[in-house]
Amino acid sequence: MANLHKWFGGVHALDDAYMIIRKPGVVHALMGQNGSGKSTMLNVLSGQLRPDSGTIELNGREVFFRSPPDALAEGISMVSQERALAEHLSIAENILLGRRLVRGPTGIDWEASRTRASEILTRLGVDYDPGWEVSSLRPDQKQMVEIARALSTDVRILVLDEPTSSLTDEEVQWLFAAIRRLKERGVCVLYVSHRLPEIFAVCDEMTVLRDGVTVAEGPISDFTPASVVDAMVGSARVRGTRTEGSATTGAPLLEIQNLSVAGSLSDACLEVHEGEIVGLAGLEGSGRRELIEVVFGLRPRTSGSILLAGAPYNSNKPRDAIKQGIGFVPPDRKVAGVILPMAVGDNLGLPATSETFRLRDPGRGEVRSESAGVAQMLSIKAALDAPARTLSGGNQQKVVLGKWMVRPPRLLLLDEPTRGVDVAAKAEIHRQLREAATRGIAMLASSSEYDELLELCDRILVLFRGRIVADLRPEEATETRVAALAGGANEETRSGHTEGGS
Amino acid sequence: MNRLSKVWAETRAFRPALVVVIVLVALFASWLPAFRTSLNIQNILTSIAVLWLASMGMTFVLISGGFDLSLGAIATFCGIFLGTLLEHTVVPGWVAVLLTILLGGVVGGVMNGIFVGIFRLSVFVVTLASMTVLTGIVLVWTKSASIYVNDPIAGHLAVSRLGGIQTPIYIMAAVFLIFLYVQMRTYFGRDIYATGGSYTAARLSGIRTERTLIAVYAVAGACAGLGGVIAVGRVGAATPSVDNGLALQAVAAVLIGGTLLTGGAGSVVGTAFGCLLIGILQNGLNLAGVGSDWQYVVTGVILLMSVLAGGLQASRAGRLAQFKQMFGMQAKVTAPACSTEPGAEASAEPVPPPITSRSDETAS
Repeated sequence: MANLHKWFGGVHALDDAYMIIRKPGVVHALMGQNGSGKSTMLNVLSGQLRPDSGTIELNGREVFFRSPPDALAEGISMVSQERALAEHLSIAENILLGRRLVRGPTGIDWEASRTRASEILTRLGVDYDPGWEVSSLRPDQKQMVEIARALSTDVRILVLDEPTSSLTDEEVQWLFAAIRRLKERGVCVLYVSHRLPEIFAVCDEMTVLRDGVTVAEGPISDFTPASVVDAMVGSARVRGTRTEGSATTGAPLLEIQNLSVAGSLSDACLEVHEGEIVGLAGLEGSGRRELIEVVFGLRPRTSGSILLAGAPYNSNKPRDAIKQGIGFVPPDRKVAGVILPMAVGDNLGLPATSETFRLRDPGRGEVRSESAGVAQMLSIKAALDAPARTLSGGNQQKVVLGKWMVRPPRLLLLDEPTRGVDVAAKAEIHRQLREAATRGIAMLASSSEYDELLELCDRILVLFRGRIVADLRPEEATETRVAALAGGANEETRSGHTEGGS
Repeated sequence: MNRLSKVWAETRAFRPALVVVIVLVALFASWLPAFRTSLNIQNILTSIAVLWLASMGMTFVLISGGFDLSLGAIATFCGIFLGTLLEHTVVPGWVAVLLTILLGGVVGGVMNGIFVGIFRLSVFVVTLASMTVLTGIVLVWTKSASIYVNDPIAGHLAVSRLGGIQTPIYIMAAVFLIFLYVQMRTYFGRDIYATGGSYTAARLSGIRTERTLIAVYAVAGACAGLGGVIAVGRVGAATPSVDNGLALQAVAAVLIGGTLLTGGAGSVVGTAFGCLLIGILQNGLNLAGVGSDWQYVVTGVILLMSVLAGGLQASRAGRLAQFKQMFGMQAKVTAPACSTEPGAEASAEPVPPPITSRSDETAS
């Protein structure tokens, strides 16, 4: 793939990016942070997007993909992050779904189809019974079925997008074994992951994207974990000093001890003080989302204790949490944040009035005027009686935040507080959050954008595979360091690197 | 004038129903002298009394994001209950009526509300099940025989007059006003919109979504119970034949009235027009000698058309808003660029210097 350009509106998602897979039977890593153009690259390669300029060549012949079937016909098959299996059908049916089932004179020949599915599974080195129903399989087995389905056509390049995010360590090893078998058969694998140890364990060569540009590329032996992170993040930068000093002077408000959640979080310990913003950094599946959900009462914990202002805290539904002074800005604003058909003013007043007598008139009482004040404070550019549906993403997100500003909670939980929001709204939201912190509100902010955490937080906890692996103060946190820790680089590599880099 | 245009703007959601009602009234009134009489107008209203009551309850159910197939069965069940109370016990008439309405609320809240609100089962399954169960109970209880009611209370409510106007019309007006008040002037009303608009967002905002849903189905059940009382009064007997078409006709009236099947938006005012439309159509076609069975054909077509019109209107409004937004944004970026944009950037830039400048610095 050469000189690829792709524009989305005013955004240059791919800017002269390129990627070369040199020979059959290699595993090629595609690396880059969120928003680096990685997904765009994959979508172009699999025919879901057409590049605005640039070319794709296969064996020296230029190819054009108008749709995913075109890419499939050239032997490029993608296994995406989201499972796309028919849960109630058998493994064989899933692998051979559609026209690939073997047909006999009297319709589908199930015996032959099962044999064929078996053959494909054997190629991956697994011996599942093709008659098993998919819904009874473990996550890694489902993954294998998806790979097997990709292999049921004549595949030359297999794209695996974050294949290990829901797998255990042992399951990852089985996946690697399957990948090595494919290599031997001359299949190229394009391996997309954020996890550095995996990349170095299984890949032969690598391309690193940053801001839509290919910034580094070559055989894996040219790279070290540190240099990969460096390429992904840019030069090793020390974080900028925030304008206000950090206000970690308050008493501890939230104390979490040895909190575990089955399958996603183990032995997490942390403290958040009044007026302090603590960041949670980590990849998808690192457990940061689950941590916040447990505190808000959306998810049960397996063990561990939580203290709120020194008293044991328990919540098994959001209402309990809100009553005890906890607010939550969810990651998906359209589904969980705002009520789209409802007026902005009513949206803003929801949590503040959740305890009011239900037959009272919402038109009266001070909450209404307070909501108006909050809308003004956050400069929400819409009438209070306009449905939230009509607002831009940035303004909707301000409404989600504003809901907790009418009657401020003691602790505000934030999950991706500025996802999909324009730059101006993002800056405004950050400013408002900092200001709320100076008023004594404690915050626990989870984000996949490291620069956001660096800007916002007084302290950053980094999670990797369900464990808190680092607790960084502002002066020790850099984007490089956070990215390396979140990607699973061990402490020695990282500190050695930052000393050399800065 | 300004006030009038404001009122006109408020009718946007149910405008197709409004327009059709006006057209039908004008058409039938000029064509059929019999249509214009005060008696006929009252007949139209009383003929849709049961539908009206069920539709009011159904409106809240739809706004909350569900629907209720069991309302017809609840109405019949409550009618049988009323007949039994009046004929086989010494309970005073008005107490029996109140108990009947209460029973409707309890049945709706328990059989539908709890399963939908707390167990989060599909409304289709839950209300289909309660419809089936209640239909069965009614048949078992009555052994398929009607209960003739001699007590005058139900008749008073259903077919007598007060000040020259038939009593069901007062009941319809009262119920409508109560619903309108709840919808516009209570937190409970707002909870219904919130729960239907986004169950998750409502729950995360601390709204008692379970309780809201139970209450909504209980209210609908109570409405159906009151409808059952009127049906008994009109016939003079509690009949065990369940009108399972009532619930679907109510859904049609609610949808024609502009309430969304997806929940979160709607109004009992629109529903009132939806019911009127059905009543006027039925009455007019009858008077014209066409036969009232044609009303179903016409109602079905109007249902489709009004929902289609609503969809077109919404998408046009959406496009307009989008256009305005684009235009507005563009105006902000280009025209007052010197005043607002640098200001916004100035506040964005100094806070995170390393972030905004990273790509340029490091790409080279």
